[in-house]
Amino acid sequence: MKAATDGGTAAPLGVYVHFPYCERVCPYCDFVVAGRARARIDHRGYADAVLAELARRGQALAGRPLASVYFGGGTPSLWEPREVGRVLEAIVRRAGSTSDLLEVTLEANPSSLDLATARALVAAGVDRLSLGVQSLDAGRLAFLGRDHDPAGARAAVEAALRSGARSVNVDLIFGVATADGVETPDEAAREARGLAALGPEHVSAYALTIEERTLFGKRARAGSLPLAPEEHVAESFVAVAEALEAQGLGHYEVSNYARPGRESRHNLGYWHGGDYLGLGCGAVGALARPDGSARRYKNETRAAAYVRAALAGEPHETESEELGPETRLRERILLGLRLEEGLDLEAAAHALGVEPWPPARRRAAAELEATGRLTREGGRLRVPRAARLYTDGIAAALF
Amino acid sequence: MPSDPRLIRNFSIIAHIDHGKSTLADRILEATGALSAREMQAQFLDKMDIERERGITIKAQTVRLVYRAKDGQTYQLNLIDTPGHVDFHYEVSRSLAACEGAVLVVDATQGVEAQTLANVYLAIEGNLEIIPVLNKIDLPSADVDGKRREITEVIGLDGAAAIPASAKTGVGIPEILEAIVARVPAPKGRADAPLRALVFDSWYDSYRGAVVMVRVVDGVLREGQKVRFMATGRDYIVTGLGVATPHPTALKEIGPGEVGYFDAAIKSVSDTKIGDTITDAGKPSTDALPGFKDVKPMVFAGVFPTDSGDYEPLRDALSKLHMNDAAFVFEPDTSEALGFGFRCGFLGLLHMEIIQERLEREYNLDLITTAPSVVYQVYLTNGESKTIENPARMPAPNFIDHIDEPIYRVTIHVPSAYVGAVMTLCQERRGEQKGMQYATAERVILAYDLPLSEVLFDFHDKLKSVSRGYASMDYELVGYRQADLVRLDMLVNGDPLDALSVIVHRDQSATRGRALAVKLKEIVPRQQYEVAIQAAIGTKVIARTNVKALRKDVTAKCYGGDISRKRKLLEKQKEGKKRMKKVGSIEIPQEAFLAILKLDE
Repeated sequence: MKAATDGGTAAPLGVYVHFPYCERVCPYCDFVVAGRARARIDHRGYADAVLAELARRGQALAGRPLASVYFGGGTPSLWEPREVGRVLEAIVRRAGSTSDLLEVTLEANPSSLDLATARALVAAGVDRLSLGVQSLDAGRLAFLGRDHDPAGARAAVEAALRSGARSVNVDLIFGVATADGVETPDEAAREARGLAALGPEHVSAYALTIEERTLFGKRARAGSLPLAPEEHVAESFVAVAEALEAQGLGHYEVSNYARPGRESRHNLGYWHGGDYLGLGCGAVGALARPDGSARRYKNETRAAAYVRAALAGEPHETESEELGPETRLRERILLGLRLEEGLDLEAAAHALGVEPWPPARRRAAAELEATGRLTREGGRLRVPRAARLYTDGIAAALF
Repeated sequence: MPSDPRLIRNFSIIAHIDHGKSTLADRILEATGALSAREMQAQFLDKMDIERERGITIKAQTVRLVYRAKDGQTYQLNLIDTPGHVDFHYEVSRSLAACEGAVLVVDATQGVEAQTLANVYLAIEGNLEIIPVLNKIDLPSADVDGKRREITEVIGLDGAAAIPASAKTGVGIPEILEAIVARVPAPKGRADAPLRALVFDSWYDSYRGAVVMVRVVDGVLREGQKVRFMATGRDYIVTGLGVATPHPTALKEIGPGEVGYFDAAIKSVSDTKIGDTITDAGKPSTDALPGFKDVKPMVFAGVFPTDSGDYEPLRDALSKLHMNDAAFVFEPDTSEALGFGFRCGFLGLLHMEIIQERLEREYNLDLITTAPSVVYQVYLTNGESKTIENPARMPAPNFIDHIDEPIYRVTIHVPSAYVGAVMTLCQERRGEQKGMQYATAERVILAYDLPLSEVLFDFHDKLKSVSRGYASMDYELVGYRQADLVRLDMLVNGDPLDALSVIVHRDQSATRGRALAVKLKEIVPRQQYEVAIQAAIGTKVIARTNVKALRKDVTAKCYGGDISRKRKLLEKQKEGKKRMKKVGSIEIPQEAFLAILKLDE
């Protein structure tokens, strides 16, 4: 299993393209976003900037199979499908090869996805649409600051399903409290069932997380944000998982569910420790070197500054981090334990050229096993279903 | 040949911190030509960094100066420096006992302070001739006439005779030197009597062992002489004798009235008790000099290394400090929560702070110090009594008949506007008023008997805050008094955190218990089950709170852009775990103990 680090001969690669613009900024979102009316977005200019960056970083793609492309945001469904197609085409052209399994995902907001747009995106090469539905309840949608209503959400999912896309994902946020009260675990489960009933192949179900640098974060600090009690959120997590699994959606990652074979390949790339090239404003990329180390970078997060620098051929990275093999193994643990399949620690360690079982980790693993928070089969570690809510602490113990 | 006692003057300088004692001493050294200009560095006498920073003299530095007076005679002036803080009250009294006179430095802008007053009283008790000096007359805010009156009214000395001076500019220095010669009495004592010399300081020298500073009262101290320490009964041969001018200068002998130091292959400064009398082992005196006391530490605290690997370096550092400071004691101690460390005894809070600071700064150690405790006399129901200085060792309540606690007489100088607030504070701290005197129309001297434990517990900070910084205080142990005291334990899921046990008055136990429980609740990491935090006296729980169970510890989203941040968070968490201490089944971060110990009420 040395292939993953062998100088890019065969290791597949994912490409992430960030589209930062949103028509309105959601109060809980801490992604790199810039609020802008669709008519005022320079669709072509932004695509040119991304293409300029691709031209500079393109050698990372050379000779490597392209596994996935992911258009995230922001709201990439605002981007003119023609420009999406232009960027996608350039990425594919640069790649050494593309498998039949190439997955091209694009994130969409229900309010900016009608059937025509969806079909245009599919025609441009997108084969997976990910819809930010978040809720089917009018009160919660309003609280979350979304600009669609439950009917709009249903219509958008239907459009996506009819667009010819190979796979459709819907996002759900649970653990929401509004001024009217706290969503009960039963309600969360009912909502999950309702979403699954619409027929998507994939559901991402997230517990609402209050991020510091958001409007919700500010309100939470001021004490003016209704918050669901932690035990409620924990119970909702379990209830949502049961509801979705009962609908045939497998719980393959902490927050992700899919019909068999429809797991997100792009995201599995992250969770398996694969390389990813990040393009666009605020995008993050991580590329391994043959010696087991890697470099992770982050692009300029201000859209205008990014576009200007990228077009001018000036540097636009704002962060660059060296990752040694030990650090990379810790990331493998952190990410792998989030998966139902777990991770093969020994294989990962050998591929990185480091010791899988330093004494402290061995002791920690034994204690976790004894208390039912970890299982081991050979070199493979898994967090059992019952302990999934404690995955972070378990990962930290094994660091 | 010993010097002629008639040409010797022994004096010290009494001053409040910051009132220019060190600067004045430097000027005197300069005026007598003891130091060349090149050698003059500001405040020659205070050697340690910490002393210089805090403006406090910890170890006295004594120098012999040669002064040619206006009467044409050449005098030997011995400037005997005194430690400058109340924690060293006894040491100050012994240094003063080595003198016949004292220069009292009063700040012409601020007047007489409580601490100055305490030392003046010591000097008056010791029948010293006091020469008042009004310092800092160069400052525009100096009020020479007002402060002269204050000297007369507050201290009862002749304020009109005070010498106006400025240690900064040198004004008044010649007058001070002349006054010392003219007014301080020459030492009395007979060269042919059996040797009696007063030990008033000692320090450790890595080549010579303990070096002892003495003032000869009767007889002659010679190199090669076999001497006896009367309090300890131990004999030593004097291997070296000398005096600081301030350069070390070897001498063959010193006679009545003279001051000098000797070494005698003495292993530790704890063998040289301050206030002891040195006599000739072959021809001993029958009467020791009066005033000897075996000083005992009054304040104890546990000192633990943050990193258990620092245990040995900590022990070495404590040994070195102890070699130079007999009043500081330590012994090994273990705490379930904090691991292996030491129980240390100090003269007072300042002494404790100084040692702590030296350990951290000079020895580069990272320490956790438990809440300071005083020494209690515990009388048991079976008639026995015990001295308890570690709350963890306090017997269970059912074995205790009663407990006595140390009481300090606290003298507070305060502007009359703040008298009410200070009295309220003293009453809250279980104080008993012992006196109230108007020093002037605006200044009041309050005397209170306060439990030492109350004085330790941020009393000084509170005093400063209720008086807007204007109050000053001095204190002295006056005895023990019975009090309704209990040991307050903190329990986490039923397991005691021994390092957090404190002894408090029963009336305050509920408040303290609640405050500690609330603080602990914030710090104890959440577990997958609910954790009970309790404050208890014996088996009786007086306050309780719960740390709610951790129900969810997983990040919702973890994609390409989130990985670094998440990994760093978990790395930090893991790093923190290394410093956790296990109490029962629960790991508590060491920071928790630090936070609790800094609990500010």
